[in-house]
Amino acid sequence: MADTAPARVTYDFVTRAIARTLGNPGKGYFALLAAAVALLAVGIVCLLFLLRYGLGLAGYSHPVYWAVYITCFVFWVGIAHSGTLISAILFLFRSGWRTAVYRTAEAMTVFAVMTAGLFPLIHIGRQWYFYWLIPYPNERGLWPNFKSPLIWDEFAIGTYFTVSTVFLIMGLIPDIAAVRDLATGWRKKLYAITAVGWRGTNEQWRHYTRGYLYLAALATPLVLSVHSVVSWDFAMALVPGWHATLFAPYFVAGAIYSGVAMVITLLVPIRKLFHLEELITVHHFENLAKLCLLTGMIVSMSYFTENFTAWFGGNPHERAAFWYRAFGPFWWASWTMNICNGLLPWLLWSKKVRTSVIALFVVSIFVNIGMWFERFVIIVVSLAGEPFERFANATYNPTWADWGIMAGSFGWFFMWFLLFVKNFPAVSISEVKEVLPAPKRAKAVAT
Amino acid sequence: MDRRRFLKVLGVTGGGAAAVTACGIGPEPTEQLVPYLVPPENQVPGIATYYATTCRECAAGCGLHAKVREGRVIKLEGNPESPINQGRLCARGQAALQGLYNPDRVTDPMARGANGDWQKLSWDDALARLQTKVREARGKGIAFVTGLESGSFGELVDAWTRQVGGRHVTYEPFAFEALRAGNRIAFGTSAIPWYDFANARYIVSFGADFMETWLSPVGYQNAFTRAHAFTAGRDASMAKFVYVGPRLALTGMSADEWIAAAPGTEGMLALAMAQVIVARRLAPLPLDVARVRAALDANAPERVAARVGIEADVITRLAREFAASRGGLAVAGGIAAQYPNGAEIVAAVNILNYVAGQVGKTVKFGPNHALTAGGSFQELTDLAADASAGKVALLLVHGANPAHSLPAAFSQALARAGYKVAFSSYLDETAAASDLVLPDLHPLEQWNDSQPRTGVYALQQPVMQPVFPNTLHAGDVLLRLGGKPGTFKDYLQGRWQELHRRYGRGRSFEEFWDDALQHGGLYADVPAQAVRLGLDVIRAPALAGDKPVLGWQPSPDQPLLLVCPSIALHDGRGANKPWLQELPDPVSKITWHGWVEVHPETAAKWQVANGDVLLLRSPHGALRAPVWITPGVRPDVLAIPTGQGHKAYGRYAKDRSFNAFELLSDAPTGYGGRAFAVSVAVTKTGDHRRLATLEGDAREQGRGVIEVLPLTRAQQLKRGAHPFEERATPPYADRALAEWAEAQHEDASLGDYARPHPRWGMAIDLTKCTGCSACVTACYAENNLATVGEELVVRRRQMSWLRIERYYTGAETGRPVGAVVTPMLCQQCGNAPCEPVCPVYAAYHTADGLNGQVYNRCVGTRYCANNCPYKVRYFNWYNYAEPGGEWESWPDPLNMLLNPDVTVREKGVMEKCTFCVQRIRGAQNRARLEDRNIRDGDITPSCAQACPSEAIVFGDLRDPTSRVAALARDPRGYHVLAGLNTQPAITYLAKVVHGAVVEG
Repeated sequence: MADTAPARVTYDFVTRAIARTLGNPGKGYFALLAAAVALLAVGIVCLLFLLRYGLGLAGYSHPVYWAVYITCFVFWVGIAHSGTLISAILFLFRSGWRTAVYRTAEAMTVFAVMTAGLFPLIHIGRQWYFYWLIPYPNERGLWPNFKSPLIWDEFAIGTYFTVSTVFLIMGLIPDIAAVRDLATGWRKKLYAITAVGWRGTNEQWRHYTRGYLYLAALATPLVLSVHSVVSWDFAMALVPGWHATLFAPYFVAGAIYSGVAMVITLLVPIRKLFHLEELITVHHFENLAKLCLLTGMIVSMSYFTENFTAWFGGNPHERAAFWYRAFGPFWWASWTMNICNGLLPWLLWSKKVRTSVIALFVVSIFVNIGMWFERFVIIVVSLAGEPFERFANATYNPTWADWGIMAGSFGWFFMWFLLFVKNFPAVSISEVKEVLPAPKRAKAVAT
Repeated sequence: MDRRRFLKVLGVTGGGAAAVTACGIGPEPTEQLVPYLVPPENQVPGIATYYATTCRECAAGCGLHAKVREGRVIKLEGNPESPINQGRLCARGQAALQGLYNPDRVTDPMARGANGDWQKLSWDDALARLQTKVREARGKGIAFVTGLESGSFGELVDAWTRQVGGRHVTYEPFAFEALRAGNRIAFGTSAIPWYDFANARYIVSFGADFMETWLSPVGYQNAFTRAHAFTAGRDASMAKFVYVGPRLALTGMSADEWIAAAPGTEGMLALAMAQVIVARRLAPLPLDVARVRAALDANAPERVAARVGIEADVITRLAREFAASRGGLAVAGGIAAQYPNGAEIVAAVNILNYVAGQVGKTVKFGPNHALTAGGSFQELTDLAADASAGKVALLLVHGANPAHSLPAAFSQALARAGYKVAFSSYLDETAAASDLVLPDLHPLEQWNDSQPRTGVYALQQPVMQPVFPNTLHAGDVLLRLGGKPGTFKDYLQGRWQELHRRYGRGRSFEEFWDDALQHGGLYADVPAQAVRLGLDVIRAPALAGDKPVLGWQPSPDQPLLLVCPSIALHDGRGANKPWLQELPDPVSKITWHGWVEVHPETAAKWQVANGDVLLLRSPHGALRAPVWITPGVRPDVLAIPTGQGHKAYGRYAKDRSFNAFELLSDAPTGYGGRAFAVSVAVTKTGDHRRLATLEGDAREQGRGVIEVLPLTRAQQLKRGAHPFEERATPPYADRALAEWAEAQHEDASLGDYARPHPRWGMAIDLTKCTGCSACVTACYAENNLATVGEELVVRRRQMSWLRIERYYTGAETGRPVGAVVTPMLCQQCGNAPCEPVCPVYAAYHTADGLNGQVYNRCVGTRYCANNCPYKVRYFNWYNYAEPGGEWESWPDPLNMLLNPDVTVREKGVMEKCTFCVQRIRGAQNRARLEDRNIRDGDITPSCAQACPSEAIVFGDLRDPTSRVAALARDPRGYHVLAGLNTQPAITYLAKVVHGAVVEG
């Protein structure tokens, strides 16, 4: 990091550059926010209809009992993955380049989990009884079924959401204190409260860094566990196309792949709009691209393994399921997935692509699309294609209720994200400073 | 979606929690149970009363037991004492309830007002009007059209029409005129005999769909399975069944061999078989056979093979097998009895039975079918012609809807007839065109009797108070009209005085009457009478090979269209019953709409796919029908079902699909019947319609869902053999599971689980199952299954807990083609995939081995349904019970048929087959009250109860003496998808076929 930072990047510059992002929002910002809220409104209206009339409004059929909502659930959980990977694992590995990007990734993680967590509630038949899935002492003496992967899910997502939120908030404390000192008006009050009395004393820094390290250690296993548990929703079932031991690593790799892609998708416009080119450099993007490349290769390998096992295993149900995937009525979905996730990451072997922000932005968008379709293919196409009983197979046609709520989830996510970047430092002030070379510290302002 | 609905739903955002609930989001509102203020006598709430009565949904006249709870009939089951149906009942019989509680019933007498709208009348007013009209019409032509009425009501109509100088026309759209005419040609009698399927050893059906609509489908199917079932160790092997016909109908699907003879040549084939028997003296020949010998020789196999389209040696083989079985039974009917030469075909089949010495053995004249006295199509067309000529001043119609089945001619007749009176419970096409509608009681609300077979006097009694109090029995109307004293019940009892004299055996009339009521009627044996070849017999051979339609040549370019009676909707009378509309056709699996069957070769040539709409034009009419491609039809033949296309009749029937009768000629055939085959011109319309089908894949693809054994192999199976074991789990998996189960059992200290328990199980014999789907409707009736309508079936939201899977076997084109069927319902797995995945224990394992489903606990994650390999779990996508809701399944008063023992499910919960757990618990409670253990046979789930072929056996697998335990050990037994180690409680017994097994 140190050698890539331009000379004018000093402590003072960092503070001001980042604090500038919290300045008065322009028309463009409000337009984006309005778009996000409008999308959310569409989703809410669709949801109200769903609640009133029933899940029949969505495209489900017998036997496609899970569809777009669970696809979105897995998609958003997957997005949530790179945040903790970048902030916790790379922190433990002392990868300096993470400092410029980890705040965005973490915020993205929290909001993605918030989005993902809605879908299991939306998709159940009697949404008003969702709390029956939560173990709490009750007069009926009933506990949830701890054998059910859905309960594991609930714990995995719940833990992940708690830890990543705490992690995000904790990392924010010194930065909030920094902007508190620059802020005026209501913001000053807000930051004064949220900075929880941070004064930057040695004592505070000592506790803070230790605490941060422990939290990072605590969060690290979650990166692997959460999506493993999500994958077991499928792997523990016996549906051909789901029932595979490969699923946990395959899902984790896919999740990080999609998460890193989403980080790139978000960082490119932020960097541009907030003029953070000096702080978030091409070097950062290249590192993200390398992470993307690594996980993308694992995903491609998984695709190959899946298909190979289906063929080599000789199980007629498996074979039929994978044949249906590739050549059935949903061929377009599986080939979208194969091309976006299986072929596209090969472009990242080229340094030219890795160092071109525009190219990376385009690639990241396609990776996101591909990863959404991966979940769609796994969930919908497996259920439709080979339900064991040939007589019961059926197709699936999503409806406005599916698309509307999915659009709403994007609105929900971007609304939170937009509110976040305008109110909190989207790049870590304190950590960026940590990696600045020593001589520049002379001009430092106190934080 | 309209603006109001949009705003209503949107308005929720503004409101609080109360508004949320008011808009239907959240739990269902609580309802209160109110006890009787003054409890009715002799009625215990919660205890059902059963009344014996008779089914009037078709001419078969099956005996019924009506289950009545709290004064409402909620279920119909077969009366085991009835010799007609042996306690079994078909889908149409079950659905009589939906006729009784039909929301479109006419509730009051109505007259057509001056401006054409209906005005309600009082009965006195209505009767006075009718009285006046009768007086005016005397001498100017009075006609009374009824359905088949073989008992007191029919006689009353006869008497009344005689009194007023009118005529009584009996009209059934499927009246089997050809059977009567053919019997007259062959034997000089127009009686329709009784066929002894149970004792037949070799059955050849020349088009007779004896499991669908032919004469007495339930009884004949039951008897057929007795002959055709496979029983290990039985001396004689199972009977062989050969089906001859251009289309593989439901009956044909049970056949061991399908002979797709050219349409119209079925009689020729029968004669050729007879010729072989006579020429080679394969049976002791009757003396008078010489009279037909010359004619038979003209139809020798070699001579007719080309025209029939079947090789001569196949015909010879069939003849040899038929004769050698010493128990042959050839029956003609269905489409073969509906060609212009139908009578001759029937006569030819009679000759085959006769030369094989089977008349008097498997074909019994004497206990004749009620349709012996049925009217003919000719009588109706004569009437229609008279009416059109203005010669009918007063036309009364009861129990018939000729305006639907004879659309052109009868509508014209109705327009020209003087005054039209309909005794109809529904505003069907005929009633809608009438001047006066006098709503009759439903057969379940009325007194009557019928004689479904000579010697069987079946009684009908009201099983409950009329649903609509202002309806009146047509018999009472006639009695009051004729100025006779007393009610129709008195009239009926008066007629039974005669029977009392003959069969009373010294009892008082009251005793005799009560006894008959209790048993559903009086069942007397009638001996078979001998018949000889008649004088006309020589006429048959000359015409037995005629064209089905004049000038038609077998070719796919100018296909022959067959109009086939629908098993569910019959001639259309079932069309306003949602159970029957939603019942997948046993062959096509299509619901709520008609279709046209097209052979794959023909479809490829025309470049049409499933659902493409074709325009079919006959010389008499045209209609548009979506294509259903099936290998079960000849390439030069198309087929469409009857029953749909109503212009009136009610919300479920009106403006739905097409009316197949519109393509048919109104001219009667030579024997007074109706030709159901017509040559059509076919045009592609470019339109497409998604078929509301339950069929995913028409091929089983070796998944082990249906196992088939050749007879020779099945006979060699020793007790204890397990030919299907290679499909089962490896021993280590079984061991692991057993250990796990034991550990679970040891751990279980809670309540019931600690004690020993039964393990409820089921055995389904696929050799017996025909796919008739009676069980499906029985399940709808017993378990309050919602009907969801065409749109939702298209999206596969059907709720049928039990589906009949039909897979084709054999090549896509060419022969042999066959079909196999299996009922697929919850397997109540011992190691159920649905249970562990439910996060809230809504799916759980009961102590007696059922996969319980707690509707109240279910939150609707649907994980269980995903994980069910049998795909037998069904989800409530909408609230099907919401009064006035868009998807309401039981509009008032249909909700009266709901079974109070079974929860009506809310939206958002999963449901599935429970093995009729309410019946299990009921039997357990009864046994406890009687201080005894459950006995084998105490519990019969509704599917097993209805099954006309007795294919389903239920009981306790842990009781080694139970029937189901014995069947579970049968060498033919196998579990579906056993490799998944689900340990199902349902054992399927492999289908046994004559000849080689054709893979799917």
